[in-house]
Amino acid sequence: MSANFGVMIVVLIIWLGLFVYLLRLDKKVKELEKK
Amino acid sequence: MWWKILTGLLISIVVITIFLMPPPQKELGEVSRIFFFHVPVAWVTVLAFLFAMINSILYLSKKDPRYDIQAAVSSKLGFLFAILATLSGAIFAKSAWGSYWNWDPRETSIFILLLIYGAYLALRSAIEAEDRKANLSAVYSILAFITVPFLVFVVPRVFQSLHPADSVINSRIKIQIPFPVLSIFLCSLLGFSLLFIWIYKLEVKIILLDKKKHS
Repeated sequence: MSANFGVMIVVLIIWLGLFVYLLRLDKKVKELEKK
Repeated sequence: MWWKILTGLLISIVVITIFLMPPPQKELGEVSRIFFFHVPVAWVTVLAFLFAMINSILYLSKKDPRYDIQAAVSSKLGFLFAILATLSGAIFAKSAWGSYWNWDPRETSIFILLLIYGAYLALRSAIEAEDRKANLSAVYSILAFITVPFLVFVVPRVFQSLHPADSVINSRIKIQIPFPVLSIFLCSLLGFSLLFIWIYKLEVKIILLDKKKHS
């Protein structure tokens, strides 16, 4: 496994974590708006 | 919803391709990959400060507190993205020029920009009366944005700089990077712009909900 591939995996995991967090936050805000 | 999925896809594609393709500039080596992060983040900084100015003008003309909240959120995000652009630029500078900070015209101008918008955030936190805070912040934000084109586009081109100039479009307004690099760069530009809009809309909604709860 090259160093670049390793860095890519780490950056991708961080990005996907942020993306899922934003999706969940978005869903929660929409629920609160409906209330 | 579709554009949020598109944001996720675009940035994922960018992350995968920039690490698997050869570096965009062979002379600079591996560090030149930072171009796909640094330039879009700097672009979003300008976009955010522009949003802040437009919302400030709308606030002064319509006196709707929503515009004040939108201006504050834009400035805050612009400040955050400016910090990211500064940090990524410093990493590039260390590798390309041997030191994290050189007081190069581009570095100096972003430092001044951070001070200007840092002062905007300090101004907002220093005033308690909502109306007064909104009015003063709106006027400050409009005046602050006047410096943005000067600091971002004029200063680095007038003074001699170590910073790579015209890396995307040359002085004859012609795109000068190869198509594969350009397509990933445009994906990154669009992805980060959408990410900014997403966070911006979310934060405005959260502040409005919070205000509604406390009123």
